[in-house]
Amino acid sequence: MTTAVANPAATGVTHPSWRGTNVATQIMVLTGRSLRAIIRDPRMIIFSLLQPLVMLLLFSQIFASIAKTPGFPHGTSYIDFLMPAILVNTAMGAAVQGGVGLVNDMKNGVLARFRSLPIRLGSVLVARSLSDMVRTGVQLIIMVIFAALFFGFAPAGGLPGVAAAWALGLVVGWGLGWIFIAAGAWLRNAEIMQMVGFLLMFPLMFASSAYVPVGNLPGWLQGVARVNPMTYAVNASRALSLNLPVGTGVVSALATSAGLAIVGATLAIRGFRKPL
Amino acid sequence: MTELMIEADRVSKTFGSVTALDDVSVAVPRGTVLGLLGHNGAGKTTLVNVLTTLLPPTSGSATVAGFDVDGQAHHVRGRIGLTGQFAAVDEQLSGLDNLVLIARLLGATRREAVTRGNELLEIFGLTDAARRAARTYSGGMRRRLDLAASLVGRPDVIFLDEPTTGLDPASRIGMWEIVETLVGDGTTVLLTTQYLDEADRLTDSITVLSQGRVVASGTAAELKAQVGQRTVVVTLSQPSDAGAAVAALAAVGLQPALDDERHAVIIPVDRSAELAVVVRALDQEDIEVGELALTEPTLDDVYLSLAHSPVAA
Repeated sequence: MTTAVANPAATGVTHPSWRGTNVATQIMVLTGRSLRAIIRDPRMIIFSLLQPLVMLLLFSQIFASIAKTPGFPHGTSYIDFLMPAILVNTAMGAAVQGGVGLVNDMKNGVLARFRSLPIRLGSVLVARSLSDMVRTGVQLIIMVIFAALFFGFAPAGGLPGVAAAWALGLVVGWGLGWIFIAAGAWLRNAEIMQMVGFLLMFPLMFASSAYVPVGNLPGWLQGVARVNPMTYAVNASRALSLNLPVGTGVVSALATSAGLAIVGATLAIRGFRKPL
Repeated sequence: MTELMIEADRVSKTFGSVTALDDVSVAVPRGTVLGLLGHNGAGKTTLVNVLTTLLPPTSGSATVAGFDVDGQAHHVRGRIGLTGQFAAVDEQLSGLDNLVLIARLLGATRREAVTRGNELLEIFGLTDAARRAARTYSGGMRRRLDLAASLVGRPDVIFLDEPTTGLDPASRIGMWEIVETLVGDGTTVLLTTQYLDEADRLTDSITVLSQGRVVASGTAAELKAQVGQRTVVVTLSQPSDAGAAVAALAAVGLQPALDDERHAVIIPVDRSAELAVVVRALDQEDIEVGELALTEPTLDDVYLSLAHSPVAA
């Protein structure tokens, strides 16, 4: 530091002292910061798409014959049946990533600074959730394009149906994302987060209607699948993209997501208040 | 009476059964520098964390810039800058973007934020690295960016937690000059340090912490006068004798302190006659003395005799 020392505090006083800003601006600025980090380093988007892409590739080949079994919706190809579930799955994976992202922020050091600034800690979490939602949205669009181009994904619901399924996936990912933000705020360890995410996601996805109609599962698993909230999310997503009657599926998927978000956000703010 | 910008009144902080701060009081008038001196674990960082609203005090109260750190944390945060031991910057963002981010969060418009950011980058000699990600910065550059980040909002009070630890000598002097400039401008500074030359040069008053308690406070000169003692510094031929030497000296009523770095035992003495007592006590235990010196008090001795946990206790 050989610079001739000018006056760091007083130089070029062109502004009044800044003492803080409103919550909306805090959230906007912080969301922008997280999005900028994603743009600067898009590896996270690319790598988190690998797992759903592999599943898409494997399952569309392995389970294709299920489309010919009795319990399967008539006249539907397996890829059209599978893809809505993959969308939900991708959104869930993105939710785990959101929690991991929060933990990385804590390590990064910048969170230590935020704590000494006149901003609400809740703004930091909301910004995290919003930027995760944007990231999830982009990931889901990439998946849909990929499936349409290379796997012949062309559901009966057409573009409006797929768009609706996309939006639903986004909401499910957002609700679940809050649970993982809460987990991140409490656990503060990326490795444990990944483990918990993995252990939670696999049973939830497989013991559901995601890859096979529930009627084709063994008896005891049918019981599990019927109470698994993922079954409802997948069914709703599927009904939307296949242009089937949606019934109460969409409403209950949205309500569950909102419930998860409320519980997660409450826990997250409590955990996040604890000193680093 | 000058306005107090930092005032801690009998602040205590416990973590479970560990007492990190025990009845600590400090008062810092506007435009002055308080140095917090103490070893690792003495409670310096905990006090900084309480005063910067990062940790609530277990008991006692504190105000910064006239606001209560516990009840009015938001107001305190709008008026302080904090530079901790680890650079609190966003590694992913460029230097400029880091500063712009802070300014925006403090309420600046985008244009104001960019102007302020560039201004600070220039002052801290980081203009050339303005657009590089902070993760590519050297340790010294990160420190400067971190300090710049804590000055964005032109805070009334700045907390510097070991600001020069790990810096090369030239960077240390640069940091000192920046602190002096800030103070010249009326900013109030609390800095923690383990370096006596730093405290001697920068501070108006010093508070020495040991095991969470204030063991001494005053100006550097007052501290020396307060102790007002000469010390005998005994360098042992066999460093392994240190424990025995301390025990022997304590047994004859002296208060020896161990200086690990120099393999020496330091004994405050009231009268020159006690020099003989020291020699006799060591001789009796067959402890071989390498070097023995009677010295006038320095800040070093104050620090060692006060901040070291009394070995004999």
